[in-house]
Amino acid sequence: MSIIYVLIPIAIIFVIIAIAIFFWAVKNEQFSDLDKQAHSILFDDSEIKNKSDNSQTKNKDSNHTL
Amino acid sequence: MIPPKEHASSQSECFHCLESIPLGFIQTVEYNNQPQPVCCIGCQAVAESIISSGMTDYYKFRTAAAGKVQQLIPEQLLMFKSYDDDDIQEDFIHHSGELSEVLLSIEGISCAACAWLIEKQLLSLGDITRVDVNTSTHRAMILWDKSNLKLSEIIEASARIGYKAYPFQPDIEEAQKQQVAKSYIRRLGVAGIMTMQVMMFAFALYFDMFSDMEDDFEQYFRWISFVLASPVILYSALPFLTSAIRALKVKQLNMDLPVSLAIFGAYIASTWATVFNTGEVYFESICMFSFLLLLGKYLEFRARLKASEFTSNLQKLLPLTARIIKNFKEQIIAAKKLKLNDIILVKPGEIIPADGLVIDGKTTIDESMMTGEHEAVSKEVNAQVYAGTTNHDGLVKICVNQLGTHTLINQIVTLQNKALTSRPKLAEITDKVAQWFVAVLLIVAGLTATYWYSTDPEQAFWITISVLVATCPCALSLAIPTALTCSVANLTKKGLLIKKAHVLETLTKIDSFSFDKTGTLTEGCFTIKNSHFLNEKYDKTTSLALASALEFHSQHPIAKAFNFDTSSVEVFDNITGETGFGIKAIYQGQSIAIGKNGWFETLNLPVQVVLYINEKAIAAFELEDKIRDGASTLITYLKNKPFNTHLLTGDPSVAGHNLAKKLSFDHVKTGCSPAQKQQYVANTINQNHIVAMVGDGVNDSPVFNTAHLSIAMGSGADISKNTADVVLLNSDLSSIKHLIEISHKTRRIVKENLILSITYNSAILPLAAMGMVHPWMAVIGMSASSIIVITNSLRLLKPL
Repeated sequence: MSIIYVLIPIAIIFVIIAIAIFFWAVKNEQFSDLDKQAHSILFDDSEIKNKSDNSQTKNKDSNHTL
Repeated sequence: MIPPKEHASSQSECFHCLESIPLGFIQTVEYNNQPQPVCCIGCQAVAESIISSGMTDYYKFRTAAAGKVQQLIPEQLLMFKSYDDDDIQEDFIHHSGELSEVLLSIEGISCAACAWLIEKQLLSLGDITRVDVNTSTHRAMILWDKSNLKLSEIIEASARIGYKAYPFQPDIEEAQKQQVAKSYIRRLGVAGIMTMQVMMFAFALYFDMFSDMEDDFEQYFRWISFVLASPVILYSALPFLTSAIRALKVKQLNMDLPVSLAIFGAYIASTWATVFNTGEVYFESICMFSFLLLLGKYLEFRARLKASEFTSNLQKLLPLTARIIKNFKEQIIAAKKLKLNDIILVKPGEIIPADGLVIDGKTTIDESMMTGEHEAVSKEVNAQVYAGTTNHDGLVKICVNQLGTHTLINQIVTLQNKALTSRPKLAEITDKVAQWFVAVLLIVAGLTATYWYSTDPEQAFWITISVLVATCPCALSLAIPTALTCSVANLTKKGLLIKKAHVLETLTKIDSFSFDKTGTLTEGCFTIKNSHFLNEKYDKTTSLALASALEFHSQHPIAKAFNFDTSSVEVFDNITGETGFGIKAIYQGQSIAIGKNGWFETLNLPVQVVLYINEKAIAAFELEDKIRDGASTLITYLKNKPFNTHLLTGDPSVAGHNLAKKLSFDHVKTGCSPAQKQQYVANTINQNHIVAMVGDGVNDSPVFNTAHLSIAMGSGADISKNTADVVLLNSDLSSIKHLIEISHKTRRIVKENLILSITYNSAILPLAAMGMVHPWMAVIGMSASSIIVITNSLRLLKPL
């Protein structure tokens, strides 16, 4: 049982690391908008990449109409 | 989620904004190879732009409808260009190395899909390193390379998909609030994570009661608990201590005092027990207590933060740029660089950047943001015009005669700030309860200590500590914040933004309601009350269609009354505005005009607008400012309560008295300046009344800070929404009734909570003082009473 004298302090070190990561996340505004992150999984990134060249030219077209 | 519609029944809704489509408008956009109807050219352009960029996911996953889009006009594009000026940029752009950072406040964000759409659109521009759209504050942080991409191009790109963006500079007060919010999250995180660990070891210690644990282990677990609990107490719970000390310094007792006494008292006792290996430890209870209390406080704070973020986005009173005339040439410069006696040019539709005298041209000016009256004021040479008002139809040159803090608009802002510092405050129930609670607690703890010290000195310290723990006002301190959080959440759902903490408590004491007239009790825009059709050749439909089509080209507020189907009308030629009269054009070879009675033929009717063809009157319209739907029901409700009702209006005409009679107000005062409104409310307060003010205009913002409570209409001026304690987002007067009812219900629930928790505390106090309460009993009692109080508060979430 004396192993817990070692294991518990190690566990505490992990907790401290977790808190450090949490502080970093707060500092980087990751908690300022929880709504957006919840929905972000729905949006498909790859489809956009294929068409992004496309969008550039289209944008120019719509410039003329303005 | 709103799935894109494919069935025929919904064909009458616009594909983009989901609003109904005006008859006769038959444009479509192609979505999934099917034509979808749209309601206007603006929505069509935006939808096409979104679909062609491959961002159709937006329509699949959005949870709220997009706003109706207005078509971009060249004049606006020019405005965007002015944001590229270095003088203007220095106010809101920050540089970090090669990159620039700007905060944009974006109109029209309704759900997470909007954020995704904007981020995709802006990233497709290239040269943008980071876009972070926040759906709760409606702002976007953009980090980009200024040398390759202009700010105006970013703003234009977002306008193209239907979101208007403005550079935004948060004020100091809001920046501080954001800091507080972040520190709350950090403290909560530490408290949450650490409490879990401490609980784990506490369980091990609980089992010691059933099976004998080795002394070494027990002592080791206590030390571990001490190490883990220390950050919670010394970091997370520190604000309670500092707040209690701050109150003590000004000789007051607040709720944080018993809280910190319990937390820090129990912490010191437990530490003592750990170090000297005697007595009991309470680390897990105080950690849990700190966490719950912080959570309640944070939720309440966040609700108010959201409300104030919403209104601070709106502060765009004055334009950033001005057209100055120097050496006979027009130049666009930053408005703050203007000097006295500069000559500036103001085009139709623009906001005037400084106070000044008209020296050339004539126009009509919409001063509604100052006076609340929507009827435009005509201005000729030598007339004074004010910064912040909107120029309607004429091109004028203005000689600047007041700048910066001396402009009328800034004087109103100063008036408002002055009133804020002298605002009457009502003592809050929390403080009153805290004061006698703390007093009783300290006396009992003192008596217990003295008694036990004289009879059994060894036990004295532990029994005193157990008195402090047992009476720990956990439930009591949760009683008020949980109730407030629940009712604020309920009100937010109904479209009522609560911006200040005192609102619900003050509301229950209010005995007088003061109302503004235009824009508050009335809709603040004109509608047709009566029409006269004078020529048989033009029937009702044709006349209205012609009038609407022609008024479409007018900026005048009256023009908005004419919004009928215009699909039967063909194109006009030679459209010209005649300042002070109206607008005219050539239609099918005939001259057509719409404007004021007496422009050509004078009619002996009480009409404001006449439609002329070939200078003959063919239709005449009587307009009125319609009373809002809920107004009459609300005033009747208030009178039955009974509240005193006052009508304060800046309008000097008889309209104020007529309206007061119709709605049966108790008191009326017409023709009030902002300062006179303040004076009136101050007098009412001096007669020992507690006054709430409901208003919408800039002229109401000073009186907002004089009254005990202020309520602004969502459709009102930005500055008034920013000042007010409550904003009625949907401008629905009947929600004031809901507000009053919820506030009374909240007070009832708070009372119940206080009685419940004080009953628990006073029942356990004598037992603890006699040394009969085991620590685990105290913990169970504490948790049970807290849960009962929280559950009771949750009842406020139910709609009435």
